Amino acid sequence: MPHQWSPSPSVPDSAVPALSLTPFRSLPRRGFAWMILLAFGLSLIPLLGVLGTMALWGLLPFVLLMVAGLWWGLEQSYKSGDILEELHLRGDELCLTHKPVKGPTQEWRCNCYWARVDMHVSGGKVPFYITLSGNGRQVEIGSFLSEDERKVLFGELKDYLKALQQVQAP
Amino acid sequence: MADAAIHGHDHEDERSFFTRWFMSTNHKDIGILYLITSAIVGLISVCFTVYMRLELMEPGVQYMCLEGFMAEPCTPNGHLWNVLITYHGVLMMFFVVIPALFGGFGNYFMPLQIGAPDMAFPRMNNLSYWMYFAGTALGVASMLSPGGNGQLGSGVGWVLYPPLSTNEGGMSMDLAIFAVHVSGASSILGAINMITTFLNMRAPGMTLFKVPLFAWSIFVTSWLILLSLPVLAGAITMLLTDRNFGTTFFDPAGGGDPILYQHILWFFGHPEVYIVILPGFGLVSHVFATFARKPVFGYLPMVWALIAIGGLGFVVWAHHMYTVGMSLTQQSYFMLATMVIAVPTGVKIFSWIATMWGGSLEFKAPMLFGLGFLVLFTIGGVTGIVLSQAGVDRAYHDTYYVVAHFHYTMSMGAAFTIFAGIYFYFGKMTGRHYNEFAAKIHFWLFFIGVNVTFFPQHFLGRQGMPRRYIDYPEAFAYFNKISSVGAMISFASFILFFGIVIHALLRGRKVEENNYWNEYADTLEWTLPCPPPEHTFETLPKQEDWDKAPAH
Repeated sequence: MPHQWSPSPSVPDSAVPALSLTPFRSLPRRGFAWMILLAFGLSLIPLLGVLGTMALWGLLPFVLLMVAGLWWGLEQSYKSGDILEELHLRGDELCLTHKPVKGPTQEWRCNCYWARVDMHVSGGKVPFYITLSGNGRQVEIGSFLSEDERKVLFGELKDYLKALQQVQAP
Repeated sequence: MADAAIHGHDHEDERSFFTRWFMSTNHKDIGILYLITSAIVGLISVCFTVYMRLELMEPGVQYMCLEGFMAEPCTPNGHLWNVLITYHGVLMMFFVVIPALFGGFGNYFMPLQIGAPDMAFPRMNNLSYWMYFAGTALGVASMLSPGGNGQLGSGVGWVLYPPLSTNEGGMSMDLAIFAVHVSGASSILGAINMITTFLNMRAPGMTLFKVPLFAWSIFVTSWLILLSLPVLAGAITMLLTDRNFGTTFFDPAGGGDPILYQHILWFFGHPEVYIVILPGFGLVSHVFATFARKPVFGYLPMVWALIAIGGLGFVVWAHHMYTVGMSLTQQSYFMLATMVIAVPTGVKIFSWIATMWGGSLEFKAPMLFGLGFLVLFTIGGVTGIVLSQAGVDRAYHDTYYVVAHFHYTMSMGAAFTIFAGIYFYFGKMTGRHYNEFAAKIHFWLFFIGVNVTFFPQHFLGRQGMPRRYIDYPEAFAYFNKISSVGAMISFASFILFFGIVIHALLRGRKVEENNYWNEYADTLEWTLPCPPPEHTFETLPKQEDWDKAPAH
């Protein structure tokens, strides 16, 4: 599941982030290994016939280039989904970090009592765009999730903040 | 932190013509570029056949004279003839059918069907297209540059067998090798792109066995390209060094083996013919389901049949070369393995028939082309079983029977699926309706034309007329005349096709709805407007949009 709550999200200063979000990638790592194995294994079949002849050296480089290319391609597509958003609770401060594919990690902090979650059905970067606001800034969360998942996430975030604020309230 | 962006910007297409078409990284635009380019190359290649059939219409040589076109007296120009058959083959195999089905339809519809926003590597996609374009340019340049016999072009056949290809003079042959290299590299990059997209960018919940059949066929095709084209690249590189650097990979004088080239070439060449036809299999599955108003019969066996055809395609190559002197055991193996292919192909044929069985059939142009494909491809498959027998092949090898066989599978199999696909998706791609009546005329002209062209070639093959000759004895005149008339009819239908497309683009009725067929066209591309906007599925699609199979 590309968005995951920790078992006890309301415990402050926990080592596990309260919520972590990553983009969806449909190929598990195990599948990647199978694909490379398949490409390498099957591409050796035509080489069997030319084993021990000079012609092997005519074919081998191209076959290896192909396997390398497939490896690179799949690896690259994992990398493009290497975005991680984490929500931590540090004391009474909510801390959202966004690690993009390239560039430094971005951060937003706000006292959880003042944090607010909004959903913009239209007008956002995506339909049902979710933002957190507080501390003078409005930031996005989970814009890479699917529409249905964002709707679920919105409800969960709302309940989460409500719970925190009730604990904090005098 | 990623600050929120809330200002209600709609995606407006602000690209200039040049940016959109020449620097395109959009899978839909690149798909259209592939289709247009392959249509133009296809027209060139078809013109060659018309010229060849014209020459074969009567015994004796009337048009292709050394002294010039229709000279009197006429010395037959065999080189020109050989050049025409070579480039008809090279262009059709590498630059028309694969780019149209795999590059064109694959690029356009595979990401849409799996709900991906674009290909995994949009810029590499652009590189693939332009390498294909460069390859085509090299191919055409090769035809017009100095070659063997002191004339232009090379006449060695599309398979480029040594020693013919190593002895052909001039630089034409080298250019042809480069053309195949570049287009091969383009196809491999394309295949890596397709595989990555298919594996890693499917919509959430879309497990492998919920992916629509066309996307599956593109995935299997990508694997065939990935496994077979590096082998071809190796083979023609060795050919190149044999020609230019004095190596003797394929020259017995230096310890090489010309038969080795044939083995390597056909190890690529047989998967190649499946590369040509598999995306077509995927396309017509959707066409049959739509126009029979029933879901595809036996989705899972259909997928496994695709995989099985792909796998078997790699272990049958030597049935193209029964006559090179293989041992009896080798021949028996290749004969049996070849016949086994009829099993998964049969699964597909019967599943298509079962899809239509009891359905509410509607004979629109895409369905007509789909049915044409089904009937003619089956005929081609049956003659394939005949040819697969090593003993029978002794008689049919290099005769017109073989020509008839592979044109029934490819010229009619693949070409009919291309036309089915174009009419099926025309409104989706362009936002305009084509003229249904004209399209039906196109179908009937094409259907009658190709059958009149190629069916008599079976008889010619049985009479013993060999392939690849400019002239023939009086005895073969009767069926050759009929065949040539058929070629003219087919050519007329092809011209009509261009007319239909141009008319539809300029005058066609605008498409108003997202799905202009019916609810059985149920893959994701039908949830989008016609033509789809520049950016599609930037957010992942919802499962209920695509998961409609009643079995699940």
